[in-house]
Amino acid sequence: MQIRLTVNGEERVVETTATTRLLDLLRTDLKLTGTKEGCGKGECGACTVLLNGQLVASCLLLAPQADRAEIITIEGIGSAEGLDPIQESYLEAGAVQCGFCTPGMILASKKLLEENPRPTVEEIRRGLSGNLCRCTGYHKIIAAVRLSAQKMADKGEGKDE
Amino acid sequence: MNERIIGKNLVKVDARAKVTGRALYPDDLYFAEMLYVKVKRAVHPHAILRKLEISRAQQLPGVVKIITAADYPELNNFGLIIKDQPVLVGIGEKMRYLGDALAIVVAESKEAAGQALAQIRVEVEELEVIDDPRRAMEEQAPLLHPDGNILCRHQLNKGELERGLAAADLIIEQEYKTNRVEQLPLQPEAGVCVYDQETGVLKLWVATQWLHDTQADIAQALGIPPERVRIIQPVIGGAFGKREDISVHIHLALAALATRRPVKLTYTREESMITQSKRHPMIIRAKSGATRDGYLTAWQVEIIGDTGAYASSGPAVVHKGLYHCTGPYNVENVRGIAYTVYTNNTYSGAMRGFGATQLAFAYESQIDILAHRLRIDPARFRYQNAYRPGSSTPNGQVLTDSVNVRETIKEAVQMSNWPGGVEL
Repeated sequence: MQIRLTVNGEERVVETTATTRLLDLLRTDLKLTGTKEGCGKGECGACTVLLNGQLVASCLLLAPQADRAEIITIEGIGSAEGLDPIQESYLEAGAVQCGFCTPGMILASKKLLEENPRPTVEEIRRGLSGNLCRCTGYHKIIAAVRLSAQKMADKGEGKDE
Repeated sequence: MNERIIGKNLVKVDARAKVTGRALYPDDLYFAEMLYVKVKRAVHPHAILRKLEISRAQQLPGVVKIITAADYPELNNFGLIIKDQPVLVGIGEKMRYLGDALAIVVAESKEAAGQALAQIRVEVEELEVIDDPRRAMEEQAPLLHPDGNILCRHQLNKGELERGLAAADLIIEQEYKTNRVEQLPLQPEAGVCVYDQETGVLKLWVATQWLHDTQADIAQALGIPPERVRIIQPVIGGAFGKREDISVHIHLALAALATRRPVKLTYTREESMITQSKRHPMIIRAKSGATRDGYLTAWQVEIIGDTGAYASSGPAVVHKGLYHCTGPYNVENVRGIAYTVYTNNTYSGAMRGFGATQLAFAYESQIDILAHRLRIDPARFRYQNAYRPGSSTPNGQVLTDSVNVRETIKEAVQMSNWPGGVEL
């Protein structure tokens, strides 16, 4: 069967099957390997992507469920010219260790900051609670989200002037 | 050198690739004509393999090759310290845990390989499953390995235990058990292998914590010189000790040799949990003596470490646990014995702390019980027994530098507003 979807702003038509997971479609068919598989059970958050603006575990969705949907993966964050403020903040805060959770963490951070531009530490913890970091680098990940909020606020103020 | 590094925050060299999703972990690698590998695992934790029927699986569409021990009779066992783990279990040989490999399926897709696994028929002669190391240590227990179920014994003696016990006003004896713990690096085991037919070199993109040991172990298992094995360390999704052991490596090499095509093997999370190492569960019996005014005089331990079906790093992990039996506390008279024991559980190996963590549960509990019974504040009890420069460890190492445990306790008491506000 054929599905049509927009991935990172680009329209794609993909030949797939009714039992293919969205995760496999992204990783194997579209070679967008930034989305990771940690458990295959929706527990770890490594396969997180944005589907029509919602955070989803792409290992729990079938590819046909993404027909006509708009998907953002880690490859769609930032641009060729530069990093997104969230990516910059992860670098500057030292929030990247093995990096396997990082794509999912960054997408969850993006969703959190869209809904709540000035989250408290408690709200950050809740916002990222679907994503596991087994290097246990949570303090620096939380610091990265706080730094992101600061950067985005500074940028917003700059625009107003 | 004008540019100073120490004291500066530097961006990790591969962090930019990781935040943009461009960092390539083993499962992210694709080669033209690549095949997919899956492994048929043991069907029983302790059994003799009697029959392995692969013909039906072999005929399924997309299946390229099914490899069994019969195809490679010259294979050698592998292992970090002791070569006791088979690459493939042959007919008439034993499977010793649920992670043992019976057959390697190589197919055009993951799905085809998975379907073939389900069509492999296995017949076994079941043996008693030994899941308790105490049962394994009994004289009439069936043997997992020919040399016995007790893989090794380590002992230590410091001072004179009897004198220390005689000097004690209070002696307590307790038994502690710790659980098996999964390291759970977020990236499940994965790798890609390409066989270069011109040079005869097997190129592997796979994680390891011991690159040269892994190279040597793969080579000796296959019976080829190490220079024919080249490991390219890709980006690794965590390790925590779990990647010290061989996982996908030798099976990938065999699949590449047999098919002459690039091959990829990625474990599921369940497969990773069943086949690869764990933190050792330990049974720790501790007897501790202290004077009325709260000074430790004697300490005795017996440790039984469940190393599971294969040795892995077990002898070193359990041995290290023994050396840490009194933790950061000074005791003049110590005696200990540690047994590393085979069972039919998933094998135990390295994990953060390498044997030291398990003992902490026992010695800190002992300290709390002694302090409570002697009516001494537990922080004070720890402080007055903690190592200071010149103290010696249970294995007799005299500590000269960086002995800061007393300062640490003092600071922890201050920072935590310790109830009672004990003055140290």
